[in-house]
Amino acid sequence: MINIVTALQCEARPLIEHYKLRGNARHSAFRCYQNDEMQLIVSGIGKLAAATATTYLAASESGTTSSAWLNLGIAGHADKAIGKPLLAHKLIDSASEQQWFPGIVMPITCDSETLITVDKPEQAYRKEMMVDMEASGFYASASRFQSCELIHSLKVISDNQLYSSEQITEKSTSAIIHDNIATIDSIINPLLEISSQLNTIEQASPEMYDFIAHWHFTTYQQNELRHLLRRWHALSLTNKPSPHDFANHTTSKAALIAIKSFLDEQPISFNKEEAQ
Amino acid sequence: MHRLIYIEEDVADHPRTKAICERFPKATKVYCKYYGEVFNRKGQNFRLQKQQPALILARKHKKHVLNAPDGYGIGGRRNYYFSHMLNCVYDCRYCFLQGMYRSANYVIFVNYEDFQQSIIEAAQQYPDDESWFFSGYDCDSLAYEPVTDFTNQFLPTFAQLPNAHLELRTKSLQIRTLLKSEPINNCVVAYSFTPEEISKALEHGVPSVEKRIEAMIKLQQHGWRLGLRFDPMIYQEGFEEGYKNLFEQIFSRLSPDSIHSVSLGTLRTPKVFHQNMVNLYPEEKLFAGRFDESRGMITYQKELEEQMTNFCYDQLMQHIPQSLFFACTPPE
Repeated sequence: MINIVTALQCEARPLIEHYKLRGNARHSAFRCYQNDEMQLIVSGIGKLAAATATTYLAASESGTTSSAWLNLGIAGHADKAIGKPLLAHKLIDSASEQQWFPGIVMPITCDSETLITVDKPEQAYRKEMMVDMEASGFYASASRFQSCELIHSLKVISDNQLYSSEQITEKSTSAIIHDNIATIDSIINPLLEISSQLNTIEQASPEMYDFIAHWHFTTYQQNELRHLLRRWHALSLTNKPSPHDFANHTTSKAALIAIKSFLDEQPISFNKEEAQ
Repeated sequence: MHRLIYIEEDVADHPRTKAICERFPKATKVYCKYYGEVFNRKGQNFRLQKQQPALILARKHKKHVLNAPDGYGIGGRRNYYFSHMLNCVYDCRYCFLQGMYRSANYVIFVNYEDFQQSIIEAAQQYPDDESWFFSGYDCDSLAYEPVTDFTNQFLPTFAQLPNAHLELRTKSLQIRTLLKSEPINNCVVAYSFTPEEISKALEHGVPSVEKRIEAMIKLQQHGWRLGLRFDPMIYQEGFEEGYKNLFEQIFSRLSPDSIHSVSLGTLRTPKVFHQNMVNLYPEEKLFAGRFDESRGMITYQKELEEQMTNFCYDQLMQHIPQSLFFACTPPE
């Protein structure tokens, strides 16, 4: 799953069309769109709006899902060409001077650059930096919910020293985002893959629910059960864990002790033939 | 190949920073005030970063040389370790680094001169004692040699310190610098081993046992003193056969004269690190076995530890004199 945060509807429009996102009427605070693997929220302008929208989207998610996050939009740069896509490798909040360093672990097809978020539009450009008004709010919020490898900010240059921000229109914004769909796709796809990879690692064993249906486990015991069932699967045992094999234990505590004892007795072998 | 190189602003102009950056002309340089902003912050996933680690170039400001942990020694009275690099190019599933650090990025402290000065001072503090300096605690001593130029820079320091000894602990085949250098008597190149099938399953990216033995033979022929580290010993059903074969494989090829020391150590990981490691790799068979907790450390059961240690010790005694053996186990 990936969550995309854009400031403007005109930034979102090319994505809505390309990814065939449907409006989600359940949300009234923000405009939200989605398909099976993607949610998009239009935050409005400014870092506070971006932070609020990010938190809103995170709060609406299932707590067990590891989603990727992408802030997508336009930014200014002193000398980069209009329409050039750049991934942020460092984010700075201009007001607080707080910094973030997204972990770029996926292959990327565009260059990367530092991105500074300002509170008010500025006429002057910073040296070797993109300038926007949302990214720091987005990142500060998203980093509460996800690790840095899955939170990124991709910007398309909309203005520079030769083409001022006053000349930007909704139409030109949509156009430069649309022109970069291939690059956007090349960022989104590996992020989806990493998110899926993390979800597989973190997901509880499918048999967990059978055990929970059989005994009453406290939250602490559920964690222990999750750990034991992971051990069971890691051992590549031929039989799958089943509550019926421990049915003679009347309490959850006794069942956990029995499962642990069973696992402690299992042989460990790193020899491939023996393990299979 | 690194995509990104994070550079502390303070070392941006350091000659070693420039030399390392020249090796990665396509990498993007990202400047930071302090390497901890990138390396130590919360909200990082070691496992994901291990797929594409970035390089961080920084300055180590203090504590360049530290006392080695209990049990981490080969007979010397004074044992120290120093880390010019944090993290390892290899990905051994039992390694405590993956539980200790939040980031899998490689940190290189470029101010070697400060490490060297601290080593000289530590050695000169006790001129009548022999001091051991271990370099492979937070990284593999040799694996990143083409980038770090570590041995080339540090061997001359030890060459002028007769009471100081250097241990290069490694699983690497990066021995070109050592083969070009004149061997010094106070340096031991110590190779770590587990039996082949365990190595294949758990030591990702590590050269095969055979390749490592071949590297040791070349070093031996060149005159370097060698160490053998079976630390940690990893349990599996029928471990006896694996370790017996490993010892035969190694000692049938190496000349006993060049072996300086052989050590055995049990698997022991601080509990917090172990929990982090299990959370990172819940599907890993190594962590699915039985472990006990003792004094904040996660270990195999005591009886199993003793069984493995006794077996391996007996086997080793068939190949080496007792005087070369050291048990790397913390005191009770």
